[in-house]
Amino acid sequence: MDLTKAEEAILNGESGEGMQKAMELVTALGKIYGAEDLIDITSAHLSGASYKTIGDGGLKYLEDMAAGGARVSVPSTLNPVGMDRGRWAEMHISQEFAEKQLRIIELYGKMGVRTTCSCTPYTGANVPSYGDHVAWAESSALSFVNSYIGARTNREGGPGALAAAILGKTANYGLHLDEKRKPTVVIEAEIDGSVFSYSMLGQAVGMAIGSGVPYFRGISPEVEEAKTLSAAMAASGSVALWHAEGVTPEAGSFDTSGLETIHIGKAELEAAYDKLNTVQDVQLIALGCPHLTEKEMHQIASFLKGKKKVNKDIEIWFCTSEEVRAKCPEDVRIMEEFGPVLADTCMVVAPIEGAFQRTGTNSAKAGNYLPTLCSQKAMCRDISALMELVM
Amino acid sequence: MKVNGRTIMAGKATGEVIKLDEPLSFLGGVDGSTGDLRVGRGGNVAGKILVFPKGKGSTVGSFVMYDLMVHGKAPAAVINESAETIVATGAVISSIPMVDSIPSVGMFQDGDVVTVDASSGEVEIADVRCRAVVSSVLEKDGKVLLLRRPKSIGSFPGLWSLVSGKIEEGESPEEAAAREIMEETAISVGSPDGSMDPIYVREGSTLWKVYPFLFHVGDAEPVLNEENEEFAWESPEGLDGKDLVTDTDLVVRRLMG
Repeated sequence: MDLTKAEEAILNGESGEGMQKAMELVTALGKIYGAEDLIDITSAHLSGASYKTIGDGGLKYLEDMAAGGARVSVPSTLNPVGMDRGRWAEMHISQEFAEKQLRIIELYGKMGVRTTCSCTPYTGANVPSYGDHVAWAESSALSFVNSYIGARTNREGGPGALAAAILGKTANYGLHLDEKRKPTVVIEAEIDGSVFSYSMLGQAVGMAIGSGVPYFRGISPEVEEAKTLSAAMAASGSVALWHAEGVTPEAGSFDTSGLETIHIGKAELEAAYDKLNTVQDVQLIALGCPHLTEKEMHQIASFLKGKKKVNKDIEIWFCTSEEVRAKCPEDVRIMEEFGPVLADTCMVVAPIEGAFQRTGTNSAKAGNYLPTLCSQKAMCRDISALMELVM
Repeated sequence: MKVNGRTIMAGKATGEVIKLDEPLSFLGGVDGSTGDLRVGRGGNVAGKILVFPKGKGSTVGSFVMYDLMVHGKAPAAVINESAETIVATGAVISSIPMVDSIPSVGMFQDGDVVTVDASSGEVEIADVRCRAVVSSVLEKDGKVLLLRRPKSIGSFPGLWSLVSGKIEEGESPEEAAAREIMEETAISVGSPDGSMDPIYVREGSTLWKVYPFLFHVGDAEPVLNEENEEFAWESPEGLDGKDLVTDTDLVVRRLMG
């Protein structure tokens, strides 16, 4: 790889061991993916925050990094953690898990990472601009900033994103390059436009293409829909960038003639729905994958206002960021009648498998991961259909 | 013998090989606190040269490698055919020397003593010598020519093989293939009708670097010399019942499609 003199010096250990380790990792990954050089980044978003997903090996790694004086050099945010910091007991979480989780958050804080722990940092804590090169982990968030904002990031892993954040640089390959941002397939979408229909659309597209850069016709997503679509395609496939005609900032700059066109309509959406629904009754209903936005909090609260939760056997969790929860006290009050509004965690990275076996969600992303990461049988329906189960 | 790979994580190590023929997920595949392998033939990775084609599975695998290092159970080095993010990340954060772009894990056997100089990418297998050979599929009416090797021969005695032999000094693999076919079967061939990348076959302390070729031979019948005892035309499906030299079936399947 073509490194500058300063980068070579870091690789040779002249800026200390922490920087050297970070450079070793970024250059090793760059080599694997054929990067020619490194590129400066303006922000990072890190995964590997839940004790459930990183375990004792990950915790020790963070202990050692922090003790070695590692610090991020660009604004960096963190993914959801395994519990709500103040309300973990309500999530059936053990004391031991809670202590280790709090330690992980503390260690990221020591390294200068902003410890609002959300998968939607682009709604407040960490907002890239068009054309920014960034190093983001969290498949749904990186797809959102690539697609809806026009920032540029690859699918970084947790340690790789942390190394990039420390250096302020990442390997220059893949979606940092114009050539790799071109659409690879056209999707003619026929959906009803509800947020849930975007979840099913994303699921169907991921199932149909796996990877690639889809170019959508016939959709007009706003933030919530784009968030949902990004999450679904990154979970059912490995899509990290998509374009929507007339909507996303780069869509107008491509010639799509000659690309294969795939139609996603009723039949494909039904197949997607069937794939995600493997159970008819649930013990937990969890909303907020990705984290609920302010608008979604208002919508849910106005839907629930004046209604009563009758079925006490089913628990309900609403998952959002600390920031959003603090901004919507009135909505929170209404929602709390149905279940806890949990901050900075979610049903996928929390150890729900200790307390539940069957979980309902409105998210295709959660629908994909609940069976594999949480040993759950999953139900995936829209919010009103889920809420009918308890009323 | 030495082979050159690509540095993923610098460092040097010598140790005994523990090899897996399938991609490895460290999460689930290796116990992070003991180093015990839960896949393949079992064993323990601590202090070993861990050889496998590539990584797979959960990204948490990187931290399992870190866990191994913390517990003093890390492999001395990792050798892959092609590195991917999870294992490369784990090797770098855990300071485990790692090399990739090794042609084939088939070069190694459990117990080989290997020295990895991951800084230069050089991998040396002690007490193993490499020999370049050709191995040709002669195809007639969808059947492949097999030759039975004598029981008295040193290499692969008594087994059925393709038309094979050593590449002489100054000879190209194609020339060697045509010469061996003429010597062993008296069939004259032109340019090969197909070929594939060399494969590596271990036989004790010998590593055979095999250049496979395909020739369509029309209606020719072989006339054997003293190197082989008998011949047979066999369909690809019929290979299963025969005692074959290692990877003969793999070469036939790939070259005859």
